[in-house]
Amino acid sequence: MEIAYYPGCSLHASSELYDIQSRIVLRRLGIELKEIEDWNCCGATSASKTDDFLAIALPARNLGIADASGLSEIVIPCSSCYSRMMVSRKKLADDPALRNKINAELTKKIEGKIKISSILDVIVPKANTGEIAEKSIKKLEGLKPVCYYGCLLTRFPSDVEVPDNVENPQGMELVCRVMGAQPLDWSYKTDCCGASAAVNDTDTSLILMYRILKDALSRGANCLVTTCPMCQFNMDAYQDQVGEKYGFQERLPVYFITELLGIAMGLSPNEMQLNRHFIDPVGLLKELKLI
Amino acid sequence: MKEAGRNRSREMSSPVLTFEPELSRTLLQDVMDLSGQNLLACYQCRRCAAGCPVGDEAGVTPDRLIRMILFGEKNEVFNNLLVWKCVACYTCGVRCPNNIQTARINETLKQMSKAAHIEPLNPKVAAFHDAFLTSASRSGRINELEFMCRYEMHNTKSELMRGGGWRAIVDEMKKQAGLGISMMKKKRIHFRPAKIKKISEVKRLFAKAKEKNMGR
Repeated sequence: MEIAYYPGCSLHASSELYDIQSRIVLRRLGIELKEIEDWNCCGATSASKTDDFLAIALPARNLGIADASGLSEIVIPCSSCYSRMMVSRKKLADDPALRNKINAELTKKIEGKIKISSILDVIVPKANTGEIAEKSIKKLEGLKPVCYYGCLLTRFPSDVEVPDNVENPQGMELVCRVMGAQPLDWSYKTDCCGASAAVNDTDTSLILMYRILKDALSRGANCLVTTCPMCQFNMDAYQDQVGEKYGFQERLPVYFITELLGIAMGLSPNEMQLNRHFIDPVGLLKELKLI
Repeated sequence: MKEAGRNRSREMSSPVLTFEPELSRTLLQDVMDLSGQNLLACYQCRRCAAGCPVGDEAGVTPDRLIRMILFGEKNEVFNNLLVWKCVACYTCGVRCPNNIQTARINETLKQMSKAAHIEPLNPKVAAFHDAFLTSASRSGRINELEFMCRYEMHNTKSELMRGGGWRAIVDEMKKQAGLGISMMKKKRIHFRPAKIKKISEVKRLFAKAKEKNMGR
């Protein structure tokens, strides 16, 4: 099955590993990702903090391109891009005047027909059908992740459809269990890591990350698993700083869900680009004899 | 006599009253219109306050901000840290029984203070988002290296304009350069340009946004 794919800027730059993993792992699950052509930045939270028109118009151009692709579904792994795209589509459906105004500037017009999916919307059904279990050659025994969804994946439940529980989603836990891991219950699964605040208001972001890590550690987790490139980057790149500031020695690898799928499927750490993490992700896997 | 006559004429002729809708608008109306949020629905249950991850650091919780707007306390509204510390996680809106998205209100207040040339309490936040959009308008996508350089430029400029010292500027650059180097080691920075083909189309959208803002 072929589905449209919007990587967004993160997956083309600092989280390129996530792009590479997603393509490989989803192909194994029978899904071919077709990157939409000439996409642009969705504007992220910067557009909505600066200009309301751009916050709708920038994602809209991508929706127009996606509609013209002829495919029926588009997957957007980045939580921020996914959320902006969902909000833009809802606004354009509610406001035909705005839609016409934006369409007037676009070569590929927005029709609003393509289904927008997060990466979990694509992966979770494969856990339910047994395809993930079927393709897995290793049981991820001993891996005790806390599933970290981050804030934006389940937001705006009153405006857009959220396929999972808003503050206690279960999709990622289901996928982990199917792979033989033991995901732990915890309280910070949809809390914010600070995202861009890590750069422009570091102290605030470090407190948020500290609370998340503290709960993960006190539950006995040996890693975090996430689907959001900003969550992964922050929790990974800033973890040493959080530990130094708040005085704890433990470090938890922060995996993308696609990395765990790859390991379960028997793919090598190299294929999964595990050398691009800040906190060593390989040691734990070796210790548990998963690689 | 002359004085008395003048007073009398003032009493006799009724003053000319003009209605200027723009001047008579209240802060509350502006915020409600621009944010699309019904602040009047807030009954101060403080579920937002319980969920807000930055309320403690900001010293103001979403419910307090809404109350300030309702009371028309312009100074307090535009000079409180919640507007600038808000991480836009939208937990307040998820928990609000009346579906008021205070994170959205914070976005609106940032836009309003920019339009009114009010200096942001955390200029780095403003510099970040301005630099981000400039990068997006130039090439259509964000190349993190190019964007971070632009952000540092915006930052330095605003620091200098506020009469800030070089020490703060150098410290900030050192901090970001440190992150940049560790990203390079992990191959998480790219040097290839991120320009899209139909950049003219994206530029037209930016031009349209400018048009609209000038009419405001």
